[in-house]
Amino acid sequence: MLIGIDVGGTFTDGVLFNRGEIVTSVKKPTDEENLKNSLLQVLDELLDHSDPAEINRIVLSTTLVTNLLATGRGEKTALVLLPGYGLPHDSYDIAGETYFLKGSVDFRGREIERLDNQEIDGLLEWIKSSGISRIAVASKFSNRNDVHEKLVKKRIIEECEGVYVAISSDISGKLNFPRRAATTYFTAMTISAWNRFADEIEEALKIRGIETDVHVLKADGGTMPLQASRAKPCETVLSGPAASTMGGSALTRDALNSVVVDVGGTTTDLSLIIAGEPLYASRGAIIENQLTHVNSFAVRSIALGGDSVITTEGVQPYRVGPAACFGGEKPTVIDAFNLHLNLNLGDTSRSESKMGEIAAQQQLDTADLCAQIVDYVSHRLFEAVNEMFLQWENEPAYKVWEVINQRRFKLDRVIGIGAAAPAMVPALAEMMNVESFIHPYSPVANALGASVVRPTLTVVLHVDTQSNKYTLDPGGKSGELEKPRSFQLTDAKEMARQYLLTVGQELGMEEYTADSSFFLEEQFNMIRGWDRVGKLFEVGIQVAPGFIEEFKGVKI
Amino acid sequence: MKPTGILFFPAFDWAISPTHPEREERLLYTRDQIFEEGIMDLPQIKEYKPGLASLKDIARVHFCVPDVEAQITEAHLVSSGSALVMADAVMSGEVRNGFAIIRPPGHHAMTVAHGNRGFCNINNEAIMVEYLRQKYGVKRIAIVDTDVHHGDGTQEIFYHDPDVLFISFHQDGRTLYPGSGFMEEAGGPLAYGTTINIPLLPRTTDTGIHYVLDNLVMPLLEEFKPDVIVNSAGQDNHYSDPLANMAFSAQGYAKLNETLAPDIAVLEGGYSVESALPYINMGIIMAMAGIDYSNLREPDYDPARLKEPGGNMERIYKIVDTQLKTFRNREDVIEKNRRSGELFKTSHERIFYDTDYINEDQRNELRLCPACGGFRIIISTAQHPNGKKYHIAGIQLPIYACSTCQAQARDAYKTLNSGTYDIVYLQDRVKDEYKSIITRTGEERVL
Repeated sequence: MLIGIDVGGTFTDGVLFNRGEIVTSVKKPTDEENLKNSLLQVLDELLDHSDPAEINRIVLSTTLVTNLLATGRGEKTALVLLPGYGLPHDSYDIAGETYFLKGSVDFRGREIERLDNQEIDGLLEWIKSSGISRIAVASKFSNRNDVHEKLVKKRIIEECEGVYVAISSDISGKLNFPRRAATTYFTAMTISAWNRFADEIEEALKIRGIETDVHVLKADGGTMPLQASRAKPCETVLSGPAASTMGGSALTRDALNSVVVDVGGTTTDLSLIIAGEPLYASRGAIIENQLTHVNSFAVRSIALGGDSVITTEGVQPYRVGPAACFGGEKPTVIDAFNLHLNLNLGDTSRSESKMGEIAAQQQLDTADLCAQIVDYVSHRLFEAVNEMFLQWENEPAYKVWEVINQRRFKLDRVIGIGAAAPAMVPALAEMMNVESFIHPYSPVANALGASVVRPTLTVVLHVDTQSNKYTLDPGGKSGELEKPRSFQLTDAKEMARQYLLTVGQELGMEEYTADSSFFLEEQFNMIRGWDRVGKLFEVGIQVAPGFIEEFKGVKI
Repeated sequence: MKPTGILFFPAFDWAISPTHPEREERLLYTRDQIFEEGIMDLPQIKEYKPGLASLKDIARVHFCVPDVEAQITEAHLVSSGSALVMADAVMSGEVRNGFAIIRPPGHHAMTVAHGNRGFCNINNEAIMVEYLRQKYGVKRIAIVDTDVHHGDGTQEIFYHDPDVLFISFHQDGRTLYPGSGFMEEAGGPLAYGTTINIPLLPRTTDTGIHYVLDNLVMPLLEEFKPDVIVNSAGQDNHYSDPLANMAFSAQGYAKLNETLAPDIAVLEGGYSVESALPYINMGIIMAMAGIDYSNLREPDYDPARLKEPGGNMERIYKIVDTQLKTFRNREDVIEKNRRSGELFKTSHERIFYDTDYINEDQRNELRLCPACGGFRIIISTAQHPNGKKYHIAGIQLPIYACSTCQAQARDAYKTLNSGTYDIVYLQDRVKDEYKSIITRTGEERVL
């Protein structure tokens, strides 16, 4: 038996899934002040239907980190930047407290400018006097050589007691210094709270006699063991939309082009599945208006959901309670769809009377008002979907073949997710002139998706045979090659693959690392004069998002 | 304020040959630098996707022998197409200016294209200029060629065009490829003074070039009043470039673009792939986007080493003086030429294609039109590397041509199709129609 729990902004959903069927599902309002309780409440109800010993895996998706950052409850953190030459310092608008240090390396990892020890003394004094106990350190090109970051960290830890230091080469090996800095900063800010949460969950599961694997869902639609998540809390942001996207994929499991429309209480999340593969955000997840190196699906969130209230001013971007037909006090988007499409949801007479009140105030026919609302909502979603296609088609390309083979997106289907999807999604699909896919499991597809996805893991290797250096991400590992002169692309690929296996083992996900694929293979000859002096390789290998072995689709 | 458009197309899967300066690695470190800086994420920048030029866009400028397909690879379509994407972005007002960091380059490619010259097959800026005129009706355009090599291809293409001001500063042709670009080359008889060459002595520094910019280039632009300014942005004036001997810095390049304020910049040469390009490209992007570039410099930058050699400035003062006069006297000279009494002005050229080892013989005949800039006929002969010898005639009818020139040019297309030439071309920019006919078979192609 598998358990998936998605703690969302409005509701917490949970499913108990076994052999292609949902044994039971639970939906509870989320208590923003105590996410752990919401989660455990749902877990306990699920456990009423299963022996804890029969649970094979639990996957959790939570908004904890997102909430901490959005509400400013992350710990006070200072950002130490070593940007070297390039953009002016005022272009790094990431943290409130930012401290700049000298010291830089270039794209080949060569030191351009040394650290200034006196300057670091000043930093240490400042840390001590400011009382800040969380520090994020990021230097430009630390993904090629992190010697400066490591030295700064060493000195802070040695001389400032009780200060936690995160360095950017541990967080990401990708190019883009501001994104690496932001991700490191958010990590330092949330790591203690996330670890407390992980402790509490482990404790709670122990009490319940559950000894199985516990994973958390990441923004990239894969899971990671709870233990492994302790070092990378930021990976858990946007896991809600990822759960829905993977849920949509789990319910369909084919190679069509789909848009997944997850209709929540006050927001609707859109994501794309292209030829069966969820589309990634090319620039990484946006956290608190900062681009980051968190790998996430391309999700567009619209402030418009099933419970969005309708007033004489039109559709409002907030929720008061459920739709009138489900006992709410105010008419909502669902009520308009209910009447316009004769859906017969809940107590339809309540939809009529509440919508009727608004219509009367505007001297409109109730039917006309409902038609207007349905039209407005469908159009807004339609436009957002089109913008997503266009954006995908216009992604920059850096190779001739990518430009020659121009991308064109032809939509096959709209997949509806969420409790209000059956009411709203068919109208949208009709407007887009494509098939609408609503499944009996659609209302809890997010939790279902969480329960059946497999872990993901990405390894990127950068090799410079002239300087005889390599760096490996994750972990900021670096070293020298044994035989740089004869090193070829096949060697680079094998080296990356071996590292994937090693990391997989360390993280306790070795059973998944056999099914990996290369997504990046770059090789450049370095020519100086007319001679080849070395080669540069960049190789990426991943366990892509997918489903665990035992998931063979849903039965109905 | 509107953002600056950037189109970065490094063609990581294209090279002239594995060890050629124009190879896959050329923009690799530039990629590393601009991506690591995260400059594309700033609100001041909008990144664009490359596009494809059409065969017609190319035929609008070139007589490709025997046809367009023979002279290009897909990479050329993407490179020139990307310049057009940037042009569209600027003209539509989406961005305030744009920089196409693209390869392969183009500024050595001339009207007739038999093969590759100076790493170029087709001329990206010229294709963009004719596209701007055709699509947006832009009338006056200035191209400032800031590559260390004389932009001889662009010069030749616009040599008879009074509406395009071509200014090139470069290392003196006596010391560097392609060996041209002297002050005497000042434009054809009816377009005199709108070709301005500024041959600089080796080791000229930022000081020298900024003097030229402030005292010659900017005043000329002010007087010419172009609707669009294009920077043909080579980066090989840099002190570390392996193929040239100048002494500019990344700061110098940034300041140049700040002063020049081009509407569109298009990358040309520059082969110091590690020590210069990453920093110059950053500098140009920052300057065009109005981002403070004072924190930008090369790791090995040492201003003390970059001093203007004695004598360079004296020569620069003379050049500035001479060329201001050339430009300001242009209308008198053109008027005199127009009244020379000749119907056509004939000139002969020998053109060497260094990359492909082709020798081309050319005869140019320009109609000394009393009303417009005149149309021209190019007779060209060359043996291609595959052994085939081509003898072609190309008729070029500019977009501003008067009705007499139009009639005569279209007529010439018919009369020249007599069997003397293997292929006859008509570049009818008035109708935006590009014809070529293989005379042996009578097979005609219209683009």
